[in-house]
Amino acid sequence: MMEEILKQMEEAIYDGDDELLDELMDKALEMGITPEDMIQEAGIKALDRLGDDFNNLMVFLPELMLGGECMKQLLDRVTPLMGGTSAYIGKVVIGCAKGDLHDIGKSLVATQLSVNGFDVIDLGVDVAPNKFIDTADKENADIIVVSSLLTTSQYYMEELIKRLGDEGKRDKYRVAIGGGPISGEYAKKIGADGYSRTCYSAVKMAKRLMEIKPTEELIIEND
Amino acid sequence: MTKKEIDEMLREKHGRVLGTLDRARTSKRVLEKEWDTKILPKTLKEVAKEYRLLGTFDPENPVPSDPELADAFFKAGYEAALRLGFYCPETESIIKLDADELAKDFNKAPKEFPVGQEGVVVKSRRPSDGVAPVFTAPLSIQMNEEAYIPVAQGIVSSKLVDCQEGPSLDTVMGSPMLADTPYESFGGIYEYHLRKEAQHRAGRDGMGNTLVSSASTHLGMMAAFNLYEMPQITLCLNPAFMKVNYTTFHKCIVANELGGMIRCESPNMIGGYSGGVETTALASIATDILQYPIVGAHLPGSPDYDIRYGGNCGRHGLWAQSMATQAITRNSDIILMKTINQVSGPMEEMFYLESICGMGAASASGQAFTISPRSAGGSRKNHLTPIDAWYNAAIFKGAAGLSLEKMNEICKKVLPMFEDKLMNPPKGKSFQDLYNVETLEPIPEYRDQYLKMRKFAEDLGIPMPGDGILS
Repeated sequence: MMEEILKQMEEAIYDGDDELLDELMDKALEMGITPEDMIQEAGIKALDRLGDDFNNLMVFLPELMLGGECMKQLLDRVTPLMGGTSAYIGKVVIGCAKGDLHDIGKSLVATQLSVNGFDVIDLGVDVAPNKFIDTADKENADIIVVSSLLTTSQYYMEELIKRLGDEGKRDKYRVAIGGGPISGEYAKKIGADGYSRTCYSAVKMAKRLMEIKPTEELIIEND
Repeated sequence: MTKKEIDEMLREKHGRVLGTLDRARTSKRVLEKEWDTKILPKTLKEVAKEYRLLGTFDPENPVPSDPELADAFFKAGYEAALRLGFYCPETESIIKLDADELAKDFNKAPKEFPVGQEGVVVKSRRPSDGVAPVFTAPLSIQMNEEAYIPVAQGIVSSKLVDCQEGPSLDTVMGSPMLADTPYESFGGIYEYHLRKEAQHRAGRDGMGNTLVSSASTHLGMMAAFNLYEMPQITLCLNPAFMKVNYTTFHKCIVANELGGMIRCESPNMIGGYSGGVETTALASIATDILQYPIVGAHLPGSPDYDIRYGGNCGRHGLWAQSMATQAITRNSDIILMKTINQVSGPMEEMFYLESICGMGAASASGQAFTISPRSAGGSRKNHLTPIDAWYNAAIFKGAAGLSLEKMNEICKKVLPMFEDKLMNPPKGKSFQDLYNVETLEPIPEYRDQYLKMRKFAEDLGIPMPGDGILS
């Protein structure tokens, strides 16, 4: 019976069905299924399937986003039951640099991080450096992720890092960057903590970033 | 003139854009997330199902050659255009046209127009018609200020390149060209002076241009478009397919007033909000059908990229883009423009192979205009050379008369030579590594590779017009 409920939860997350997931979580909690089992046996399994199917173009960004939202719904619900331990790996504030309105790459990274256990606050497009900092302060974030497809917006990445330094906050947040014209060399030049070439490697990069302190080393994921 | 006469004169030029702005401002509010994740994918899937398009993608035949299927895609794209309209992020509203409005306007854009003062005419095409399309170079790959003039001069010194668009600058006289600031306004002016010098050195003072390459918002264009002798083309980059934003409207108003032409690019991603291969092609067709009625674009183009690697020279990208192109070029006089994204870089054999597939399929499918190359996916500064541009130009012009079946056979031969590297492509070398920047001569190994790969393309059956310099 427990296995059946967990399987149904996995399907609900895969299908992005938030209402059904709510009902199933109620049942699962009544039955005494642990938060860890719900995360591992339902959430992670559904997201692994979504990831594989996305790679094979069998599901697409909207489905991935809905699955990610269901995973967040699950983690938000079970976190208070985990004795003070957050179910999230870390908290990420993400957005496109000021002047950049191209959101698809950023949304894909946000979704990938979300479906892989990060609590993601997505600020959208055209985000000024101050807004990244204010939001990271307010949310007590671990990582600030900035995306830019435009060369005229990439300088705001450098400005963000400079402002963090000026405000004495550089050691509070890891800063990761990515986007069309961005490279590992540029990340090194401006003093970022992380760079990833693709949305898939962004997850690996973010997990590695959580293992180090800000400014400790530059994590580059080119896969 | 009376005020009434002035208003009438201006309505003639600007009525379409003003009408669209009024419609955007007064239409019902819809959140962007609702549009991206629900309205758009659901409608595209519904239409694709109704027209029996789902499951028609054939990875074994990357260049489709079934005219009836292309016509079915066109009909479905027209229906999707009617049901969806364009989303405007600033007003959070949908700009829709009714059936009469769309029928009246969709095919009313000019069938040809001149650009620059060298006699270049951009013309509507049909698949495999043999009419040489217009090649513009390069895409907005960023270069050092010092390298801008040499690389631009080198590129436009070949007559295979009809017009100039890029490269782009990321600094202006040493200061960063920050988006949405006066640096961008100055950047448009700075680019004008560097561009004109490069064209002058190449003996191409009257060359056509698409503008402005370096500034991402409307500021650079508004500052510099009037410096050029018209007609020139303004470059509007919408945030995505089925969307139009205020930046585009700003540029359209200036271009319309000054007698410029409008190029609207609206990128689309296979695997993104538009879904799979078939629904992405469908979304591109719908976007290109709506560009003239809504924005007044003379040169629309919604390119289809594969979200997994950001290019479109693999099987999925080739099929979607060719199908979307054939649907439009078989069923309308729209002058279609789409970009081809290579992901490998200069002096990589893969770059030539990607170009054969991407540029060849585009041209055989009836594309009238393109801008290329996107060496190294546009992600590496200074990774752009004249040879990259000339090779692409020769393929694009040479493949115009090839049948779709022949182009499909070529792609089937060439794709297995590089497709396993699409996810992790070699980025190649920079302009400074491959050229003598003073004499604009390529290093011997690079020149030899270029000539070898030209022969390779010819041996495949693609006629390769000479660049006038090395071949």
